[in-house]
Amino acid sequence: MIEFSGVNKWFGSLHVLRDISLTVARGEVVVVCGPSGSGKSTLIRCINGLEPFQSGRLLVDGTDLADRKALLRLRTEVGFVFQSFNLYPHKTALENVTLAPIHVRRLSRAQAEERGRALLEKVGLADKMDSYPHQLSGGQQQRVAIARSLCMQPKIMLFDEPTSALDPEMINEVLDVMVGLAREGMTMMVVTHEMGFARKVADRVIFMDRGAIVETAPPETFFTAPAHARTRDFLSKILHQ
Amino acid sequence: MLGGLNTRVMLEYLPEIWQGFLATLFLSAASFVGAMVLGVLACALAIQPLRWLRAPAVVYVDAIRATPLLAQLYFLYFGLPRLGVVLPEMLIGIIALSLNSGAYMAEIIRSGILSIPRGQVEAGMSTGLSYLQRMRLIVLPQALRVTVSPLIGQAIVLIKDSSLLSLISVVELTRAGQRIAIDRFMPVEGLVATALGYLVLYYVLKSAAGAWQARNSLPGRG
Amino acid sequence: MVWFYLERIFGYWPVLLKGMGMTIGLSLLSLVIGVAIGFGFGIIRAGRNRWAARALGLYIDFFRATPFLVQVFIVFFILPQVGIELSAFAAGVVALSNMAACFIGEIVAAGLKAVPPGQSEAALASGMTRAQQMRLVVMPQAVRIITPSLVGQFVLLIKDSSVVSAIGLLDLTRSGWLIVQSVPNGLLVFGIVGVGYFIICYPLIHLSRRLERRGQAAFL
Repeated sequence: MIEFSGVNKWFGSLHVLRDISLTVARGEVVVVCGPSGSGKSTLIRCINGLEPFQSGRLLVDGTDLADRKALLRLRTEVGFVFQSFNLYPHKTALENVTLAPIHVRRLSRAQAEERGRALLEKVGLADKMDSYPHQLSGGQQQRVAIARSLCMQPKIMLFDEPTSALDPEMINEVLDVMVGLAREGMTMMVVTHEMGFARKVADRVIFMDRGAIVETAPPETFFTAPAHARTRDFLSKILHQ
Repeated sequence: MLGGLNTRVMLEYLPEIWQGFLATLFLSAASFVGAMVLGVLACALAIQPLRWLRAPAVVYVDAIRATPLLAQLYFLYFGLPRLGVVLPEMLIGIIALSLNSGAYMAEIIRSGILSIPRGQVEAGMSTGLSYLQRMRLIVLPQALRVTVSPLIGQAIVLIKDSSLLSLISVVELTRAGQRIAIDRFMPVEGLVATALGYLVLYYVLKSAAGAWQARNSLPGRG
Repeated sequence: MVWFYLERIFGYWPVLLKGMGMTIGLSLLSLVIGVAIGFGFGIIRAGRNRWAARALGLYIDFFRATPFLVQVFIVFFILPQVGIELSAFAAGVVALSNMAACFIGEIVAAGLKAVPPGQSEAALASGMTRAQQMRLVVMPQAVRIITPSLVGQFVLLIKDSSVVSAIGLLDLTRSGWLIVQSVPNGLLVFGIVGVGYFIICYPLIHLSRRLERRGQAAFL
């Protein structure tokens, strides 16, 4: 479904992605972690073309990312959830969710709204359809953002630190939605430090440092017997917080 | 079009253009000082607590802001002689420009003062400073920083506005340019010379504002 | 004495009324054209084509740097030299809407840049084209941010329209100028002219202030 081969990216002289090779299969849930500046956000931002890269090859659902023309269509197949939600402040929750389906997928308003209502109900916001983002809590906003991505019926969902801008008591409401999604068989890549989430639903956990993938392992191995010193070091820091 | 400029005529009129340029500078500078005085006064009246003292400041600012400078200029130019006050055109011009810009400056200074966080005033109160001390030591020094750029902006507006004095036959940059147009039927040459003069002033002030902003923005507040 | 002059001035009410109509008509027409072009300017100025943005920046700078009176003269006296003859009214509309477009362009550009980049990223991630991002996500937010300054700009435009009287267009200011030639009381004549402008401009100034306060309260 997602296939990196030898991908490199530089910001000026800064080498932010080093020779990334990675394959994610359909239905797989992959959690990416690592210290800040390790390139983990950049990695998943490449997958829907939010970040260009300089060398290597990246295939997503059979489409080569080098093909800029196919990019627009590809983005409709890949949902992206941002750390800072990025809801449209001038639109209600329901309008946020239906905007792209109406204008990009060309659904009728009625169809889009039907789909949007169902999704907002699914994320537990049936009573917030007509609220504006500034009237919602952070956890509610992030759930709207997830519904907004799902409304395009994507084949892949990407999450870029979806809970790190949230107050602690709101983290679980968002994670619960994500767990449900994983159990339904969605292909997901999630950048997060929520190790409980990784233990529960991840098929694999990836540890990145300084732009490179250091270790890839199933969660049980990753948490109990990490192979690399840097992974151990990182785990001891975040698990003792 | 510009290839056909008669540069010889422009050079011939250079002394007059230069005189006009200096006159514009002088008019603007004098009016800037006048406007500053009026602006500070009007602002002081507008932010103090007594309602009946605030009223005249509000009326002054709103009346100026809701009417064009040219109408204000004609009001004084055609009106003052009625009251038996006969003044040279240049002085009438400076008065009109000062009155006009003063209202805008009052608004600039006021929003500068209002931009100071309430906590600053409260910190001053809690350490026992009086109203005037708080103003002088805490509020005004900070407000001044945020008002410098808009005040320079107002100076640019003032310089451009001073061109209207040419309509009551004050000889300044615009009028000097018109002389070429009228004497030699060469409006292009006259207007190019005039525009160049204003462009110089504009870029000087604009870069001054930029330099000031770069050097003096408060750390932590952009 | 004052009544005597007032009566004489009101004898000229058709002139005043005509002037007021001209001021409103001229301003409205220039406003519509200036806003349309100004939004185009703003999109280019905030856009990704650096060279287009810079070239347009120079053009805009010229009209922000020179007095409007000089611009009116340029349109009225220089354009005929390159074969474009304009009536005083047309020259007024061209000069006014051009200047409005320049100022509005910079306001729009600033508004577009004030919309957080995450907004267009979110739109991009859902597969919108650049035009859709602009139309559906970025521009509506920019418009909310800039509405108070836009209304303020309208007030400036109405007041600047008085300068067009210098090329003989019979607007509100010019009508005062004509009346004062035969009723020699400048305070009264231009006092009335001032009231005319006040009636048009003051509600707009009020509106601009209210929008500004509301924007601060609701949106952020």
